[in-house]
Amino acid sequence: MQGNSLRRGAIAGLPAGSGGALPAVVLVGLFFVVPVVALLLRSVTDPEPGLQNYAALFGSGTYVRVFLNTFLVAAVVTAVTIVVAFPVAWMLAIMPPAFGSLVFGIIILSMWTNLLTRTYAWMVLLQRTGVINRTLMGLGIIQEPLPLINNLTGVTIGMVYIMLPFMILPLVGTLRAIDPMTLRAAALCGATPFQAFRRILLPLSLPGIAAGGLMVFVMSLGYFVTPALLGGTSNMMLAEMIAQTVQSLLNWGLGSAAAFVLLVVTMALYALQLRLVGAKRPAGGL
Amino acid sequence: MLLDYDRLGWLRMALAGFTALVAAFLLLPVVFIVLLSFGSSRWLAFPPPGWTLKWYEQLLADPTWIDAALTSAKIAAMAAILAVIIGLFASFGLIRGEFRGRQILRGLLLTPMVLPVVVFAIAVYAFFLRIGLAGTTIGFVISHTVLALPFAIIPITAALEGFDKSIEDAAIVCGASPLQARLRITLPSIRIGIFSAAIFSFLASWDEVVVAIFMASPTLQTLPVKIWGSLRADLSPVVAAASSLLVCLTLCLMIVTALFRRKLSR
Amino acid sequence: MKLILTGILAGLLAATAAKADEMAFTSWGGTTQEAQTKSWAAPFEASSGIKVLQDGPTDYGKLKAMVDAGNVTWDVVDVEMDFAIKAAKDGLLEPIDYAIVPKADLDPRFSNEHAVGSFYYSFVLAWNKGAVSGDTASWADMFDTKKFPGKRTFYKWSAPGVIEIALLADGVPADKLYPLDLDRAFKKLDTIKSDIVWWSGGAESQQLIASGEAAFGQLWNGRVFALQQDGTDVGVSWKQNLTAADVLVVPKGAKNKDSAMKFLAAATSPAGQAKFAEASGYAPINTKAKAEMTADAVKALPDAHVDGQINLDMNYWAEHRDEIATRWYAWQTK
Repeated sequence: MQGNSLRRGAIAGLPAGSGGALPAVVLVGLFFVVPVVALLLRSVTDPEPGLQNYAALFGSGTYVRVFLNTFLVAAVVTAVTIVVAFPVAWMLAIMPPAFGSLVFGIIILSMWTNLLTRTYAWMVLLQRTGVINRTLMGLGIIQEPLPLINNLTGVTIGMVYIMLPFMILPLVGTLRAIDPMTLRAAALCGATPFQAFRRILLPLSLPGIAAGGLMVFVMSLGYFVTPALLGGTSNMMLAEMIAQTVQSLLNWGLGSAAAFVLLVVTMALYALQLRLVGAKRPAGGL
Repeated sequence: MLLDYDRLGWLRMALAGFTALVAAFLLLPVVFIVLLSFGSSRWLAFPPPGWTLKWYEQLLADPTWIDAALTSAKIAAMAAILAVIIGLFASFGLIRGEFRGRQILRGLLLTPMVLPVVVFAIAVYAFFLRIGLAGTTIGFVISHTVLALPFAIIPITAALEGFDKSIEDAAIVCGASPLQARLRITLPSIRIGIFSAAIFSFLASWDEVVVAIFMASPTLQTLPVKIWGSLRADLSPVVAAASSLLVCLTLCLMIVTALFRRKLSR
Repeated sequence: MKLILTGILAGLLAATAAKADEMAFTSWGGTTQEAQTKSWAAPFEASSGIKVLQDGPTDYGKLKAMVDAGNVTWDVVDVEMDFAIKAAKDGLLEPIDYAIVPKADLDPRFSNEHAVGSFYYSFVLAWNKGAVSGDTASWADMFDTKKFPGKRTFYKWSAPGVIEIALLADGVPADKLYPLDLDRAFKKLDTIKSDIVWWSGGAESQQLIASGEAAFGQLWNGRVFALQQDGTDVGVSWKQNLTAADVLVVPKGAKNKDSAMKFLAAATSPAGQAKFAEASGYAPINTKAKAEMTADAVKALPDAHVDGQINLDMNYWAEHRDEIATRWYAWQTK
């Protein structure tokens, strides 16, 4: 009897405490941290011990430029994704299920289509001689083809497209968990819709925005197939640069150094985001 | 009010219109790929000069495409199941656990998403070569589970954060065991989070090409690796045909699920 | 933990299971590898009884990781020639056993101590006849935006080709190309930078020209050939065509070195080269292969255009690869 309840307690209790994270820590520790640290160590040992890789990295205007550009692109993509995703998630959270599942279906369908194939499809759609430009010109809306590809516009379209589901789905979860009564109460107390949105709905959906935004931003930092195909060379992202360095030039020291710096900067941003969002988050129970 | 569909007023029209636009945006390349797969133009010209089924014939004549799809599905399913289970436990630990360094731990578990995949690919491949996991299904699944884990943890923790724990406590007060309360109350409440986690982590593996190139062996070729080679080298509409078939398969699965659900709810 | 142990065990089993009568061939995927499989691997399997497993795509990082870890699962790999020379210098490759691979008929331009030719190709000037008024004739025309407006497409990566084209267009005589004057090349490229669309893979270059997205560009001859075969209205100029090659290498510590050398002998044989050239449109590196090809196929080869042909200096590139790459990406991202 006692043994039984103990065991049950153990099963139920495990995920509650810190122990729940144990399998994840083992997995990530053994198969991520160990190999990656072993590789990143090469940034100070390859080709010879020292910091010359970091000196080369920061001494090169190229890497600094690519770094800044990477964060710029990730920020633009994240901002646009949030702005586009929020109304959709809002609608999805309250829509009648029949329409809702149709939109969900479209989202899942788009995600299911191979990423490379989708990116190539965008390439053909966005070209100067592509479908979009020719349609617009055929309709007489524009005279000259719009530069939609090989620039920041192309990267943003292609990446927002990929990132939208990663923003919409967590946001729907957050919005659905909000008690509509809270907003009704606000209306009863005389809040205008705008006030209710700004003071209640937006703050309450912040955990979802933060979670989705973090995922989108961080994913964008490491992307390269889409920017490589839809952006110009002046939009080169760090991941592409690193891939070139380690795969074509076989300079694992320099590539590791760049990866390490990216990791540190991202972690710092993550810590910053925790502070900002953590401070604003409403007290638990609300 | 704002969360009452029937009382939104003009906002409802605006939101619905915007949602429709975004849905169209999401559908556009998918529809385009399906159209290209029937187009006779070898160079993806659009509108195509004619229509043909030859890309499908070529696709079906080559058994390696189907093998690759099956391998991908198998690996992605295993990676997704592992990532969701491990991620679920981890999320409870991260949200409910009161211990120091919780946020650091959370950061650590998300790092696989930050690091450019090619760096992880080389690192884990070099490691697997040494411990004998390179070129094995298990090695493949492990590396993809690591990549998928953040995609499982983020939506589940977000859902758990939005879930009011006092409901779970109330169930326990009413006589449910903690396990029952969790299985019957908490898990169903965060099901969208778990659903997102399952989809994201499946896709994190299903659509992953960089690590897959390293993990691949002659007997272990996944679909993205095959597509990568085919797009880079040939840009053949056969790839569009393969993608279209998958779209079709997904559609069928979704319709079946929807019918099944309707039957259940009756 | 149990999972991990099972995993390690399974891995060890898989590692020991590699049979002596098997070997792995790695190439870039797509139709090229299909042609290699049909022209080289299939006849080789039939004659030697050694099974050739197809792997890929080629990834230089993966190759280096294998050699570093001392666990090499690739036996023959198709790589670019400038990479092969660098890799040999880094100690990543086995020397070719020319006792097994007959050397006499191999084109000396594309074979050396650590690599034998796989196939070779030329960079040629191709244009979409619908998008360009008049015929472009020389590399210099690609830099004349007044006479020939429109986008031009070049190979994106730091590799032999574009720098040389810029220098030739700027009037450097073919025999004075090396050592490359990078300052002069980039200055010349600056003049058309905003009109360049880069292609990163062969198929992309074809799509750009076929759709007219780029009016003209620097393409691999095999790619132009395929476009013409398909009925696309493209023009081609062979003037000052630039040759480069893919080569076959054996990574250091390959498990089936002996089979690998035998495979190389079959792949570089006149019959193997002829068959592959007919299937792919790339040129054979065995000088006897042309005799076994149809007349039409021979006409499309770079060999028909040796007049004014320039061999890109792979040794120079291998020597200065990193230095040029640094400058290249600095210029591109600016």
